[in-house]
Amino acid sequence: MGIKGLTKLLADNAPSCMKEQKFESYFNRKIAIDASMSIYQFLIVVGRTGTEMLTNEAGEVTSHLQGMFSRTIRLLEAGIKPVYVFDGQPPDLKKQELAKRYAKRADATEDLTDAIAKGDKESIEKFSKRTVKVTKQHNDDCKKLLGLMGVPVVEAPSEAEAQCAALCKSGKVYAVASEDMDSLTFGASKFLRHLMDPSSKKIPVMEFEMSKVLEELNLTMDQFIDLCILSGCDYCESIKGIGGLTALKLIRQHGSIENILENLNKERYQIPDEWPYQEARRLFKEPEVYPGNEEPELKWNPPDEEGLVNFLVKENGFNVDRVTKAIEKIKAAKSKSSQGRLEAFFKPAATGSVPIKRKIFIPIAMTSHQPNLKYSNVESIEENDGKTNRIEPSTIICL
Amino acid sequence: MLELRLVQGSLLKKVLDSIKDLVTDANFDCSATGFSLQAMDSSHVALVALLLRAEGFEHYRCDRNLSMGMNLGNMAKMLKCAGNDDIITIKADDGSDTVTFMFESPNQDKIADFEMKLMDIDSEHLGIPEAEYDAIVRMPSSEFARICRDLSSIGDTVVISVTKEGVKFSTRGDIGAANIVCRQNTTVDKPEEATVIEMNKPVNLTFALRYMNSFTKATPLSNTVTISLSSELPVVVEYKIAEMGYIRFYLAPKIEEDENES
Repeated sequence: MGIKGLTKLLADNAPSCMKEQKFESYFNRKIAIDASMSIYQFLIVVGRTGTEMLTNEAGEVTSHLQGMFSRTIRLLEAGIKPVYVFDGQPPDLKKQELAKRYAKRADATEDLTDAIAKGDKESIEKFSKRTVKVTKQHNDDCKKLLGLMGVPVVEAPSEAEAQCAALCKSGKVYAVASEDMDSLTFGASKFLRHLMDPSSKKIPVMEFEMSKVLEELNLTMDQFIDLCILSGCDYCESIKGIGGLTALKLIRQHGSIENILENLNKERYQIPDEWPYQEARRLFKEPEVYPGNEEPELKWNPPDEEGLVNFLVKENGFNVDRVTKAIEKIKAAKSKSSQGRLEAFFKPAATGSVPIKRKIFIPIAMTSHQPNLKYSNVESIEENDGKTNRIEPSTIICL
Repeated sequence: MLELRLVQGSLLKKVLDSIKDLVTDANFDCSATGFSLQAMDSSHVALVALLLRAEGFEHYRCDRNLSMGMNLGNMAKMLKCAGNDDIITIKADDGSDTVTFMFESPNQDKIADFEMKLMDIDSEHLGIPEAEYDAIVRMPSSEFARICRDLSSIGDTVVISVTKEGVKFSTRGDIGAANIVCRQNTTVDKPEEATVIEMNKPVNLTFALRYMNSFTKATPLSNTVTISLSSELPVVVEYKIAEMGYIRFYLAPKIEEDENES
């Protein structure tokens, strides 16, 4: 489930890597989405109370279709071009984590049976959430639905998150949208959170920029991966007592997990007996994804109206009016997704002007474009100018 | 220290009215050569570039290059308080977080000071290279405003195509379609009523009418408008501000799906 505490760590230590954006500003952008994660959320959230799920006449669950349909419509309506990536085979290391989750689910199933027997509504709600499982049938249903909607689907060789990041790195998509922070660890150059939150929540989209993350944390990509492993990831345990902040300090001080292990106080920190950090690192760095030249073509097609009505209304009991209206929305959105952006034509340039109001403080120097700016350099700047904490405007113009 | 005195104060009022709906917050840049602004709308589809040259001001003092972040809605509110014949002076001190607009009535019997808080605005400044355009159309600004308004009652987008025949504006919508062709016409009484078309190469581009309509709010600033088109570039809609500079609007075109694959 991502990297422990990474959001907070970044907010505190690399604030300029995250920027709030309006949902509407992503028109005409291609965005990769981890489908399996989404389907899981739909099964939990959409139309479920306790053990009751949204079903069609035959009693098959349709929550995932309902969720996938309305969310994708919302994206398309905003002119966004989504591409859904489905999980393939999980890597061996993740199987441990998955086994844990499986065991939890088994526990929850038992607890649920208990709770139902006792009629404890609160517990039924709690445990039934935990017993939710995404099956192959759910995945296939969603793939069929997306196909009919004209939205491309990619089947990842292994982890969907990794494939999303790879699509982003190769420029096939603009960004990866997920709630799972390990998209960054996989190296997605742009990562969006809350893109798919319901509009009623009014949460702005949070855009993370990988280059800024590294620049501000003053780390290389390899060091960042090590930082994530130390903070706690899906692939292996973390060292007890080391959280994100300590991990950042250690990485900055020693540069890699190997060096940290050499210098770490082994009495204070217990390193797990079996700690496959090297393997975890390899999975983040060279995950199993399609090689650049074999990446699937992404194509957005007009919706198959008849197919959608057949599949959703006839087979799965959706309301006809709702489906036809939604199809109209998809068609109307086409005009939005074709609007160009100025950045495609004009590139950012520096201005010669200095804000009359803003005061510029020294810590900004740490965000300088030298990736290896060491602390010592910063200190020397502070010595020179520490008293006023303000750089004279004339020196900034050249930046 | 900054002090800019503009005798024709109504000009600044008109400038603000023409951009405040497109851009909410923007940095005004002030240098020895002039007072300028560059800002994009929130979706980064349109950009406005304004220049008021120093020579156009009665008094112009700007000791060093400065930028002042302002909320354009608030600035427009303050400028509304100036009479149409008032002289407007913009003043700001170094390190201050406010700007002062001073309005003087023409016969100097009333002087008003409005002070406005400045803002920190992180805005990206785009470099706009000088470009050769495939086609340049100059026409009466009111005519252009009329065309945009009429077409937007039919459709959402306008296709502008320039050929030897002239410039054609067309749209299509649920209720039907519309085409308006303007031919070159230089045999007019007043030069500002002419329609002049310079064409190196025929062009055909599609734009969102919503933005075009917003640009035409600058119509009161100039009798003529110049539309520069190139298939490789955003369109430029320029209104000259007499003896002072210009206001230019850039708009990214709509791009057809298949061309978009990069």
